[in-house]
Amino acid sequence: MSKIINFTIDGQNVTASKGETILQAARRAGIYIPTMCYISKTSPCASCRICSVEVEGVDGFILSCNTPPTEGIHVKTNSTELERERQNIMKLYDVNHPLECGVCDKSGECDLQNMTLEFGVAQQEFSAKDQFRTVKEWGLINYDPALCIMCEKCVHVCNEVIGDDAIEVKFGGYSSTIIPKGSDTLDCTFCGECIAVCPVGALVSSDFKYSANAWELTRVPSTCAHCSAGCPLEYETRHSGINADDSIYRVKNNFEFASLCGAGRFGFDFDASATKDESEFKTALSKIENAEAIRFTSMITNEEALILQKLKAKLGLKLFNEDARLYGAFMKAYGSVSGKLHASASLDAVKQADAIIVIGTRIATDNPGVRYALTTAARHNGARIVYAHPMEDALMKNTATQFMKYEAGSEEGVMALLANELLKNADVDDATKAFLADLDLGYLEAESNVGDDELASMSKSFMRSQNKVLIIGSDMFAHSRAANIAKLAALIEKYTDFSLLVVPNEVNTVGVSLICDLDCDEDLSKVVGYNASGEYILSALEDANLKVPALNQQEGTVVSIDNRVLPLNAALGFDGYELNDIACAFEIESENTIDYTKELPMASGFKAVEFDSLENFLGAFGEDERGYLLESVDCEMNGKVEEVEDLPEYNGTVIYSANPVLQFNNFTNVTKQLERDTALRGSAQFAAAAKISDGDTIEIHLGDRTQKRVFKLDDELKGTIALNPTFDSGYNYGSYRFLKSKIVRVM
Amino acid sequence: MSLEAFNNRNVTEGDYFLCDIEDYPQDGWGKFKRVVKRTFRGELFVGLWVVMREMIRFDIHTIQYPQEKMPIGPRYRAVHQMKRLWESDTERCIGCGLCEKICISDCIRIDTRIDENSRKEVSEYTINLGRCIFCGYCAEVCPELAITHGGEYENASEQREHFLIYEDMLTPIDTMKAGKQLEFEGFGSITPHEDERVKKTPLAY
Repeated sequence: MSKIINFTIDGQNVTASKGETILQAARRAGIYIPTMCYISKTSPCASCRICSVEVEGVDGFILSCNTPPTEGIHVKTNSTELERERQNIMKLYDVNHPLECGVCDKSGECDLQNMTLEFGVAQQEFSAKDQFRTVKEWGLINYDPALCIMCEKCVHVCNEVIGDDAIEVKFGGYSSTIIPKGSDTLDCTFCGECIAVCPVGALVSSDFKYSANAWELTRVPSTCAHCSAGCPLEYETRHSGINADDSIYRVKNNFEFASLCGAGRFGFDFDASATKDESEFKTALSKIENAEAIRFTSMITNEEALILQKLKAKLGLKLFNEDARLYGAFMKAYGSVSGKLHASASLDAVKQADAIIVIGTRIATDNPGVRYALTTAARHNGARIVYAHPMEDALMKNTATQFMKYEAGSEEGVMALLANELLKNADVDDATKAFLADLDLGYLEAESNVGDDELASMSKSFMRSQNKVLIIGSDMFAHSRAANIAKLAALIEKYTDFSLLVVPNEVNTVGVSLICDLDCDEDLSKVVGYNASGEYILSALEDANLKVPALNQQEGTVVSIDNRVLPLNAALGFDGYELNDIACAFEIESENTIDYTKELPMASGFKAVEFDSLENFLGAFGEDERGYLLESVDCEMNGKVEEVEDLPEYNGTVIYSANPVLQFNNFTNVTKQLERDTALRGSAQFAAAAKISDGDTIEIHLGDRTQKRVFKLDDELKGTIALNPTFDSGYNYGSYRFLKSKIVRVM
Repeated sequence: MSLEAFNNRNVTEGDYFLCDIEDYPQDGWGKFKRVVKRTFRGELFVGLWVVMREMIRFDIHTIQYPQEKMPIGPRYRAVHQMKRLWESDTERCIGCGLCEKICISDCIRIDTRIDENSRKEVSEYTINLGRCIFCGYCAEVCPELAITHGGEYENASEQREHFLIYEDMLTPIDTMKAGKQLEFEGFGSITPHEDERVKKTPLAY
């Protein structure tokens, strides 16, 4: 399979592996071929023809972006004819292109500007009748067809990487445009990736439009702080107004290799502002001194987590973080069977996979980074993707090849069935063999609603697959049988060629679970909340008694889903107090928070690396050079898979804690651009079962909690499970995501 | 006059001659003698005579500033002016921010926004003349010849802030309407006969 093809480019010997194109081989060899519509992470658009090359003995030009080389050919990247061809292409692009560079948002970083200068277009011989084309306003995105050069990058990215498939080309020669697919206006998840890839100013952020210019902005490379995918991004800052401080104007990303969802791209203004209020600081100190516990969320850096751990040791506090505690417990159970602390797969593994099982997560909204990796796998490798969940997800319709619906609460049974199916021909140890033999398959299939035909068709579709990944999500962490589910996942990973990816809830759930020694959350009276609820609250949000910096105002590291320690840089300043000041007051002395980066526990896989020596970039070929990967840590294999318990039943009106697109937590909730849809969304069937109708104000009784919501009918949903957003009210990590509820209409 | 005469430092040729300078007095008696000599030689009246002679001649070269002012060259770089478009009388500035970027003393601040007609609008523009070194880069980089230097060099006021009001820099609308806006001819302005050198773009209609 791995055949090497030898050929020459401009006399230089170049090798290409099978499936590689001339352009890819040239780029690897450091030979420059100009491109306009090429983008590394998608299949070639082949619309610009700038990358044309000559091959000796072949008439005409060859497109290097989509032509694989054959043995022994001689490629020429430069000649007078090619030069003229490229110059003519640029002239054609420039026909009637509005001369508004002075005000255009793209000016200064525009490919059309760069290439027009590169090919020395000094005069124009071509002309076409100009057309009247108006700017289309698509919500967060504006499209100006007059500026569009029809490179089709946006369409390719939307379809092949994001999976929304929301835009398409309306063909019509010179009057071709990009249009929303099958609708008048753009109906998509607003990831904004089309804005990122647009080489000209045709697709722009409507919020950023005309507010600043490319050359005025300062770039701060960092990591997205909204979910655990750890996407690389760059905050672009500038002074806002004449005398005001800096603010973030927009977020950009290295779109050539990485993707970013709309929350990362448009939800950047979650910073806190404060001044040093000494009396409040003293109050905070005394509150912490007298507190019984500190409750915090995983939206903090590793360094802060270590400070909290040190405070715990010093002051004898308890540390509450249900999210990280349950994730840690899940991974501990996994480790007790697999012998490793960290799961094996990464997002790159997902991108390269051709057989994937996703279970226990509404992945498209829980973690868009994983969704994009799944889409890439589906489009580029033709991956078979089994999406196992109690609810269908319209966003996964184009990506998943098989939807495996199971009953809410029956995850343990489903995992046992999967293990049984996947381990059929595996050489397992006696205990596992006995466990599999003991399974009451009939009962499990009946109760979980997963038929043996579904499992068989899954196995059949995976038959020829080489790279397999099992993705497990956050439904499992707070499941009453979480430990056994983790052990079953470990079994699958151990005895099959599946690698395992566990999707944590929050940006640094992994890091916190590795650093802090967490206690089970109790309802104590003297609790200090750190970005969480408590009697006294330190937070970057509005409800704070003492403001602390948000994640875009701090230096520090977080651990992503890939087990990669990623650096965050401070995009904006913060004048108030931070956690390190509090620690210093308790004689845990350190000048800066990032002094703790090298002290992170090596027993969990961290390295003794200074923060300032951590890199934060993607290499020229997409190599991830950010931070470092956690060292693999061995742990004791003393766990045994327990017998599967009777599966619980979830009947009636069930509520599933799941956020709408682009919303994750109370930090995305405060951003200006992201839509805040707090309605409970359910199907017509749910409405009938709960005796409510569209637009009703309702009260949801979840155990001892009640919550007021507006009910919204969603035609894309089925069944008697409704989606309840958590980004505004706070996610109750301690409870299983599916909850039986009583719903009362409020008059 | 060529510079040669100045560059030639050879004192043995040309009109050079040695001054007859007395030695400095070394003792107190010598100093006393010098004072007496200078006092009674009447050198004071030499200067007074020169002034009186010039007074009665009536061809005085002194400019009666501030009643009179010297004409300022077109390339003189004094307080900035913001120009208007001849066609529409609206402001020329498009808010590209290049002046802010190029300013080496970081004294220009500009803020833009999208206006009601979806056009880019300059919402705020200031130049801190307390910091400005009048280097002229802003006028040179301006693609629209919107910011230029003017001839206004009288920068005296109680407050520095008096010099950074955008409205003061902008050509007054009545001057504009009267067609009296002066074009900047300094560095970065368009050269004469520019129209003849423009390559025309073909049009399809």
